[in-house]
Amino acid sequence: MKLTRRNFLAWAGIAATGAIACDLFDDELRVQSPALIPEDLVKGRDNWYATYDGSAPGGEGVLVRVMEGRAKKVRGNPRFPTNQGKQSATADTLLQSLYHPDRIEGPMLRNGPRGSGRYRPISWEEALNRFNAAVDDRGNGMLLITEDRKCSFARICGAFADAFGGRHVAFGGAADDTAYRAAVKDVMGTDSLPFHDIANAYSLASFGSDFLSTWGSPTAYSVAYGKFRSSPHVEDRGRHYHFGSRYSMTAANADKWIPINPGAEGYAALALAWAVASTHPESSAVAQITGEAGPGPLRDFNPDALVEVLGIPGEVLDGKNLREFFEELAHDYMAHGGLAIGGGGEAGAYSNGQFNAAAVLILNYIIGNVGHKGGLLPDPGSPISDTPTAAPVASLADWQRIAGDISSGATPLVIIHNANPVHGLPASMGMEAALANEGVVVISGSQFLDETSAMADLLIPDRAALEAWGDDLPDPMPGYHVYAVQQPVVNPLADLDPRSFPDVLLNAAATLGRGGDMPAESYEAMIRANVEDTLGADFTDTLMYGGWWDESATGRVVTPPEGTLARIARNASPANLVGGGDFQLQPYEHHTLRDGRNAHLPWAQSTPDPLTTVTWQTWVDINETQGRQMGLREGDVVNITTGAGSIQALVYLNPGAPPGIAAVPMGGGRTLGSSYATDRDARESSNVVSILELVVVDGSGGLAWGSTRCSITPTGDSMAVSKLEGDYTSREVGEHPAEQVYKSISAEGGGHGH
Amino acid sequence: MAIAGLVVTAIVAFILVVLFISWFSNPPFGWGNAPAQPIGFPHTVHAGSVEEGGHAIQCEFCHRNVTSGAAATVPAVEVCVICHKQVNGSNVTTDAVAPETLINIQRVLDKHAEERPIDWERVHRVPDHVRFVHEAHIRFLTQGEERTVTLPIGDEKPMNLPVTTAEACSVCHGDVAHMEEVQPQDGQSLKMGTCLDCHRENNVSTDCTICHK
Amino acid sequence: MPNAEHPHKWGMVIDLDKCTGCQACVVACQAENNIPINTKDYFLQRRAYEWIRIERYWEGEYPNIKARFMPVLCQHCENAPCEPVCPVYATYHNEEGLNVQVYNRCVGTRYCINNCPYQVRMFNYWHPNWPARLENQLNPDVTVRTRGITEKCTFCVQRIRRGEIEVEARGGQRLNDERIAGGNYDPACVQACPTNALMFGDLEDQGTAIKPYFDDVNAHPGHGEHDRETRGYRLLEEMNTRPSVIYLKKIDQYPLKGGH
Repeated sequence: MKLTRRNFLAWAGIAATGAIACDLFDDELRVQSPALIPEDLVKGRDNWYATYDGSAPGGEGVLVRVMEGRAKKVRGNPRFPTNQGKQSATADTLLQSLYHPDRIEGPMLRNGPRGSGRYRPISWEEALNRFNAAVDDRGNGMLLITEDRKCSFARICGAFADAFGGRHVAFGGAADDTAYRAAVKDVMGTDSLPFHDIANAYSLASFGSDFLSTWGSPTAYSVAYGKFRSSPHVEDRGRHYHFGSRYSMTAANADKWIPINPGAEGYAALALAWAVASTHPESSAVAQITGEAGPGPLRDFNPDALVEVLGIPGEVLDGKNLREFFEELAHDYMAHGGLAIGGGGEAGAYSNGQFNAAAVLILNYIIGNVGHKGGLLPDPGSPISDTPTAAPVASLADWQRIAGDISSGATPLVIIHNANPVHGLPASMGMEAALANEGVVVISGSQFLDETSAMADLLIPDRAALEAWGDDLPDPMPGYHVYAVQQPVVNPLADLDPRSFPDVLLNAAATLGRGGDMPAESYEAMIRANVEDTLGADFTDTLMYGGWWDESATGRVVTPPEGTLARIARNASPANLVGGGDFQLQPYEHHTLRDGRNAHLPWAQSTPDPLTTVTWQTWVDINETQGRQMGLREGDVVNITTGAGSIQALVYLNPGAPPGIAAVPMGGGRTLGSSYATDRDARESSNVVSILELVVVDGSGGLAWGSTRCSITPTGDSMAVSKLEGDYTSREVGEHPAEQVYKSISAEGGGHGH
Repeated sequence: MAIAGLVVTAIVAFILVVLFISWFSNPPFGWGNAPAQPIGFPHTVHAGSVEEGGHAIQCEFCHRNVTSGAAATVPAVEVCVICHKQVNGSNVTTDAVAPETLINIQRVLDKHAEERPIDWERVHRVPDHVRFVHEAHIRFLTQGEERTVTLPIGDEKPMNLPVTTAEACSVCHGDVAHMEEVQPQDGQSLKMGTCLDCHRENNVSTDCTICHK
Repeated sequence: MPNAEHPHKWGMVIDLDKCTGCQACVVACQAENNIPINTKDYFLQRRAYEWIRIERYWEGEYPNIKARFMPVLCQHCENAPCEPVCPVYATYHNEEGLNVQVYNRCVGTRYCINNCPYQVRMFNYWHPNWPARLENQLNPDVTVRTRGITEKCTFCVQRIRRGEIEVEARGGQRLNDERIAGGNYDPACVQACPTNALMFGDLEDQGTAIKPYFDDVNAHPGHGEHDRETRGYRLLEEMNTRPSVIYLKKIDQYPLKGGH
């Protein structure tokens, strides 16, 4: 047929309509019968299963909606004692981690240089043979690096390492809170963390720690914060003061933010303790801790003497002097009951971090709220007596030794599981270079490829949280025993073939004749034994509830031994900020990406930062006025240079940022793994942890990730900032000349106007 | 002028063709029949009455979610095997059973042995943006006090409610028990007008969000 | 099924004193309502889809600085500016007080988006795309919107309808605050909110926790706002859109000097 203009149009029309009409997917015209009864894959029927989200800070009990064998939605488990049916912004990302397009599909063997991320699939049989052979040959001296998960997981890993003469260490991320844990051990005598009963407290003072965002158990604390804010008498509800050097989410929500010098949180806490002790010498709690009816060892912490150290701007004190301000706070605390929160997180990130944390803890003892309603509730210990309540988190010196041992070949085998020290430790630690040592066999059980697991020779991917058994202890527990159980709620998709990592360890030990050294035959059996034998509870009920808890099993109040306060006061020292430059570099955990462990999850990347509303990028908060004086505009690319290196980031002129402090969120700069984390250039995605100086927290030995100074230099380059907020300044109606008319009419009309 | 005329003709023709195809090409009302099922399943034998040589299995024995959930659901292969474990031709003494029947039964048993699902061809389909809840409709027809309604579908004869579940199903799906092969044309048109007529007639809300979410 | 004689009237109260800006509602909404992944480009083009978003306002400057968080979602106005401008009746107000968007009617004129003073209507500029596997997460109760139409918050009407069938039609009880929360029929954002800053309920139910706020605001409209007993107010009240969402003012213990 001759293609004329007329019939061309007709044919084009038919072709187009055909395309529209046939825009139906084949699978929509198909209905698949499930193979077996029970038909839990029934279309249109949803089931909600209780399980546990161990990846959220502090842990969350969740319910997962499962339809047709697919997980659809995650919500907080209303029965679970910490988060009480509520959830964090990252809870739903469990689903993305389950159905992520970049998941490692099955066991793989490297077929490119280390770190290239090139692998070829192999069978599980071959993978396990290789794994077992590696453990058999090189188990003596091997190193097992896992995430900082506690309870049975830590027990299995520890037993496995011990059985073959190796060592198990946990990596808690750059912001691993070792300083706070050391202080808790020192002051309260427990391995795991106390719970802050914010819900029943009248007044709150938080010190550095961003407890509404990433520190402690943010969802549990947010639930409690909502209750704290619902006192029946709104006008006289208690107040929340936040002492800190960054305008964090917690600072933004506090009734008053008291900016202090970086690392001065401990001084602020002891100044308040001084005010409490000197205005209420009659209090027995004061006498018990200070040893006299007065400040005792705190006599040097009179706020009048701390003006310089604290660096509190006078404008925030409402015309009072510093001593009057603290005394007023002390009156409020002693009259109505107060609670001091934090000391960890950002407050623990300085060389004096352990002092800061201990000072806040001892302040609660001086107020006398420890173990009381609305106070600090001590940790009750593990309900499963023989499992660890804390993971064996390594200190900075440990990591230095570990890097040295790997590069020298003294560690013959490294097994990694969901830990990313290459990204999460400063570049000068040399973890990446160490793992490049071809003489060391590296095996990764991580679910995703990241900078550390890409160094592995063999990948044996673990199941996602929603596909696997697990257990954990919420950290902190809500003041009483809680044992959280994670059950598989869906099966892996047909194209995925992951295996439970703890079970791989248990099977390897059994195959190599060390099964007797292991605590159980399978992870599931171990959890079942914990529930049925140790706790004496019904397993099915426990799964239905998402765990087991006993409100009567509360923690015991341990009064710090005499002299503790004096020792803390003696250890007081300002933060040692290392390096030159005009700015203090203040890294902080990103609200959803955290230290970068969630960077592969698109929802975590696309969730606006609560304060700046920036998404997908790495930015640096610079005080708006100071930034303008420096000639900076939003989106300018600047070099952030420390003694240990340099990164680039986009400027965000933040009216809340204190001058002289450059706050940069962690979590950017991932180079391997998912394209969601890695498809950006170095100007807008960088890892602030990589350029930190190796400063050690005195006492705990952890990395003082807030103790580095930096200089900010513009590159002359700039980029658009991908943020939610608009670029218009909000203003009242009537500010613009054209609106004056409207304003006058509305004022005349209703006697109303601004 | 001529070009303008051509353009107008082309546009009108295009629109007509779009309307024509989109109206008639949707699977429930398609020109042809639904594609053949991967395994021949005669509803006559299973759901047909005993007098007519069937086994009178109730609809909800296999479509067991129909009285409790949104989707009627096709049964799990294991449900087929509950009976076909016995009814598999091994004890057939007459040669009245067609060889295709035995082949079909064997296919089901094979699928069960492999634990593989069967991919049935969908016969009745509503578009993605429509959510139809079987349970609510079955409940309306099979429960409540005695009443007479005229459903504005089919032959529009008055119906005495409540009816049995099987009768309720056949209101929309036609007399499936007498269908060797279920075809969309044998049931009601599943167009929105049909839904709305019935909702109006029975004083049920016609708010868009009842079906579209 | 909605009860013809006594329809519900859904409403929401947002307590700004409790909102911490944590974004849990935002992500919960995205997971529940099949909202496409907002890539960096979507934000750069100012076309990100967020049916509920947290607006952040700065007040003052360092050191007396306040960041204010305000969750904004479709206000389900009784007098909605978006409704009369739609040429194809794709948006209308139903008898339960919901402002409904009918996706299969919408032809994408975007008049409604332009006429909405709250900027809560989103236009689908792109085909909905999910990478392989991630589509397994999609909620089968919610339509995946095609390119070229407008979408917005529905108060999770799919959950309300589920509740109406499971509690009212089958159980013979009327949905109330307790049954909504207990049966997971509340909107995803309300259910997720850690501090309970978002509250959802039926204004036709005398016992609902949100009713006193609506009664108070309705009793003192417009310029009577200073007479109100509660902290309630509506967004852009002077426009008389009469939203079904009421905000409770933040309690400012230390107001900025010269502030309001």
